[in-house]
Amino acid sequence: MSQLTLFRLLLTYEWWHFRAARGLVLLTGLLLATGLYGIYYGTTEIERQRQHLATLPELTHHNVAELQQKFPDSADAGEIGYYHTTYAAHHPDAWAALSLGQRDVNPYYVKLRLLGLQAQLYATDNVNPVKSLSGNFDLAFVLVYLLPLLIIALSFNLLSSEREQGLLPLLLAQPVRPALLVGAKLAFRMGVVLGLAWLLSAIGMGWAGVPLDGRVLLWLVFVTAYALFWFGAVLVVTALQRSSAVNAVALVGTWLLLVVLIPGLLNLGVAAARPVPQGLALTIKQREEIHAGWDRPKAQTMNRFFAHYPQWRDTATIRERFVWRWYYAFQHLGDVSVEPLAAAYARGLQQRFVLVEQLNVLSPAINAQTSLNALAGTDLPTHLQFQSSARAYHDSLRAYYYPFLFRQVPFTHADYAREPTHSFTSQPELPTAYRGLGKLLLTVAGTFALGLVLMRRRAISPR
Amino acid sequence: MNYILEARELRKEYPGRLALRGLNLQIAPGEVFCLLGQNGAGKSTTINLFLGFVAPTSGAAFVNGVEVAAQPLKIKEYLAYIPEQVMLYPHLTGLENLSLFSSLAGFQYKEPELQAYLARAGLSTEAARRRVGTYSKGMRQKVGIAIAVAKHAKVLLLDEPTSGLDPKASNEFSELLRQLSAEGTAVLMATHDIFRAKEVGTRVGIMREGKLVDVRPTAALNAHELEQLYLTYMHD
Amino acid sequence: MIRSIAHKEFVSTLRDRRFLVLSALVLALLLLATLVGRRSHQALQQERALAQHTVNDQFQNQPARHPHRVAHYGSFAFRPKSGLSLLDAGVDSFTGAVVFLEAHHQNSVNFSQAQESGSLLRFGETTVAFVLQLLVPLLIIFLCFGAFGEEHETGTLKLLLSQGVTLRQVAWGKIRGYGQAVALVVAPALALAATLLFVGAEYAAGPDLLARLLLFVVGYAVYFFLIIVGSVVVSAWQRDSRTALVTLLGFWMLGGVILPKATANLGATLYPAITKAQMDTEVHAEAQKGMNGHDPQDQRSAALKEALLKKYGVDSEEKLPVSVGGLVMRESEEYSSRVYQQHFAALNATYERQNAISTWAGLLNPYQAIRPLSMGLAGSDFAHYVHFQEAAEAYRYGLVQRLNMLQAGMGYGDKERRLGAETWRQLPVFNYQLPTLAWALPHLLLPVLSLLLWAVGLSWLGLRLISKTSIV
Repeated sequence: MSQLTLFRLLLTYEWWHFRAARGLVLLTGLLLATGLYGIYYGTTEIERQRQHLATLPELTHHNVAELQQKFPDSADAGEIGYYHTTYAAHHPDAWAALSLGQRDVNPYYVKLRLLGLQAQLYATDNVNPVKSLSGNFDLAFVLVYLLPLLIIALSFNLLSSEREQGLLPLLLAQPVRPALLVGAKLAFRMGVVLGLAWLLSAIGMGWAGVPLDGRVLLWLVFVTAYALFWFGAVLVVTALQRSSAVNAVALVGTWLLLVVLIPGLLNLGVAAARPVPQGLALTIKQREEIHAGWDRPKAQTMNRFFAHYPQWRDTATIRERFVWRWYYAFQHLGDVSVEPLAAAYARGLQQRFVLVEQLNVLSPAINAQTSLNALAGTDLPTHLQFQSSARAYHDSLRAYYYPFLFRQVPFTHADYAREPTHSFTSQPELPTAYRGLGKLLLTVAGTFALGLVLMRRRAISPR
Repeated sequence: MNYILEARELRKEYPGRLALRGLNLQIAPGEVFCLLGQNGAGKSTTINLFLGFVAPTSGAAFVNGVEVAAQPLKIKEYLAYIPEQVMLYPHLTGLENLSLFSSLAGFQYKEPELQAYLARAGLSTEAARRRVGTYSKGMRQKVGIAIAVAKHAKVLLLDEPTSGLDPKASNEFSELLRQLSAEGTAVLMATHDIFRAKEVGTRVGIMREGKLVDVRPTAALNAHELEQLYLTYMHD
Repeated sequence: MIRSIAHKEFVSTLRDRRFLVLSALVLALLLLATLVGRRSHQALQQERALAQHTVNDQFQNQPARHPHRVAHYGSFAFRPKSGLSLLDAGVDSFTGAVVFLEAHHQNSVNFSQAQESGSLLRFGETTVAFVLQLLVPLLIIFLCFGAFGEEHETGTLKLLLSQGVTLRQVAWGKIRGYGQAVALVVAPALALAATLLFVGAEYAAGPDLLARLLLFVVGYAVYFFLIIVGSVVVSAWQRDSRTALVTLLGFWMLGGVILPKATANLGATLYPAITKAQMDTEVHAEAQKGMNGHDPQDQRSAALKEALLKKYGVDSEEKLPVSVGGLVMRESEEYSSRVYQQHFAALNATYERQNAISTWAGLLNPYQAIRPLSMGLAGSDFAHYVHFQEAAEAYRYGLVQRLNMLQAGMGYGDKERRLGAETWRQLPVFNYQLPTLAWALPHLLLPVLSLLLWAVGLSWLGLRLISKTSIV
């Protein structure tokens, strides 16, 4: 009999075994069900965020209507800037439904007025912290957390069950190379697991309506490589030829280490290694700066402002007790004064993330989670991009209002519509995802190499 | 006469299998009764019924006049049991194992007493202090015997006690049984070993398909006759 | 007899190298989590205390200002960490640390640790509670999965029973022995934590903290007890120790990983919450137009002015001894706060409905019973967070209304005048008092009940199951 025919025969036997093992079929079905729930949850969550984002322009319309009623004629732009609210919106990418990342923790919109930005930029949305603590049940969770468990359940007794049942001597007495036997058993399980992972991915992509671009392939390759890593771990454990109970403990221990312990410890380590300059200090300093503006001589404030914005230097000297352009000038100076702090804060967060990315070789699970989030554009860097786009938007609002304020042009009803609007859609962090994939492939190669070396070093013993 | 073990019309039916069909048996103090028979003949079931480990389908087993099913804990005061394979707790020493089992039976012995029981069963003082995980089968069997002896039971239930023992250990074991019997202890022993049965037994019973088909005093038989008898019943 | 068997299990366990390695690992993790938890607790606490001190100082040392300026200058409420949150950070990492308190607006609590780390935090935090809730049960599983299977396989069970003990006694002996072994692993870490808590001056060590710590320990003792009983029951039910191990690991994953997430997500899907943007808009609209569309803001102000003129028997604002602006502001703050309170209560009711699904799931899953209990005792659960929010809002409201009254007392033309610097020193600063255990306990009845039901139910039904298992 040729090796190929034999291989096919062994696969058939594996299929018979699998079909007969109720528990395993049930478990596979359960994973399919949890995967479908994950897809359902992720898409509804993103759909809800989209709906919420869609209501923001309406809220702005209401606000404008209210102001138009309040100021039936043209108004001082300062009043409008004070009472008018608009939103910077962070629209999700279609992929976000498959890997929600930090989208539930970081606000996906920011309410803005013309006042100092730094007091508004870090406002959070209503969040149920208990839910955040429990985390998201999205497809990425099912693939990163649960798929390895299915692999472990299917394969922890790859050879040991035959050995324990005393079947291995009978099997090895046949003209079958042990490597072929192990290969066929692994191949069958890979077929089941990868089939399931691809099926869930395809359903998820269809459901979420992702664009058919290179990311489809990237996702599939990534998920495949991640599953292969766990099969590599199975191969290593099988090659050690211990009892089923020891195998189960070893594989679950590996899962615990890679999926639970290393991330937790790494989180502690990274927080200690990259302390983030405090946001608290920033907020306090900005308030002091702005409110000191009321008590400082107006000329001093205006001169400091003009140093940054010489284009308004030639405007009229302020003699009134209160005038809006002075008010907005010291609001603006409040932001300027904390700019280094704000930049350091954002940089600190980014550095934390970079360090995690560098260290994610320690655990393929962290690598998978960060890479899938990067692919979907749902992690911290994307949020920081959104914040900087919100900052740019706030600048554009200032640029729009300042001519009204400094040239003392009345703000008419028509001017509301000309106000700039904001829209930001998550961009995938493809370089992060590619780097992640590269590291993962190396890990997979390393694990399989170790498994094969161990396999070769110790012939499979029937007992 | 007072019987220490008695079975009356004892029946045990498992789903789809009749293990014991109406056993009647009486054993007196000091008697050594050997149950002979093939695997599945009902020997172990009989012992399990006397121990109360399984409930009879009908009929009753009595130990020292007490019905087993009615007072399953009471009868264990009269019994000691040595299984076919004495497996003890591997992380405890021989002494600790003996101490544990004795205290469960209500005997709080001091170390010299425990050592004495182990010595009587043939285990050296040095070995008694090692963990059982390092013991051979024979050594574990000796601890099992010590556990039984230390209980001062009126009757000893033995399930294939000598299988896998080397001849020397088997002889020592037989000697011990004779001593206990002389002190008035009754013994019910299930075995395949007809020669051992002839050597230590006062009576032998031959079981086949859940029935006690023949009972003979060993004194009236020589080894050859016993073998013939055994073969007659075992092979049609 | 139970004691003899317990002693045997205890000694055997201690002599088992595998157990020694595993428990040393768990103990090391516990100690590490305690020390790291203490460090981050201290850092956060100091940072927040310092910030609170700074803003209080700044507030009291303001120059002469108009009271409404001061109301807009506002203050900050920093959330202090509770002492026991050193052991269980609960939702603290996902809630903000600071809220800006100012006139007219109820701001969000900002700067949570979750926002300051990437998705890594979502894998779970290595806290003492995490080790106790998830890793110790795993240790127990590895300890107990062969409790009955191995005795069956080696036949020692028959030997035990022939000595006149019952299956029930064997089971209780094992439970007690394993309990002693687990206590040996957990106790040093808890002792260290207690020492740190009661020696460190920064934790308000007192009877309340002591009582919380005691209940915390008792809660976990019950949790470990029921996990031990459950594992022993499974080991008797699944005769083959391999099957028992796989079954127990399956339960662990279902209860510790899948169910908590699934129920939390289900709650969020079933009871959607309103966004802050939507809520603020509604609050604003109702405050302006009046609740239920009656008495809008301008009518209320006009009526108030009318009543004032009547009360003092004068015909113009200038002649009033009080500032109309201050009183109007007071009225509108009162009104809008009332509106806000309604919406805030509705929002929290939604969250509580969401969370109730998880808490009720505690009846099915002991992990979801110990988690809220532990957080609640540690002062790091949702209820404690809401308590802080309410305290901050109450302080904000009180402060703003005092400032409005100061303004009202300044009489007509107050806008042109200021109050002296000494005025601000007389205003109270935000001083948050952590709620007492007596306040927290009613929130924790369901988890306590769930744990007790599990413990009693397993001891009763599980042990009955054990006593019925076949011996041969």
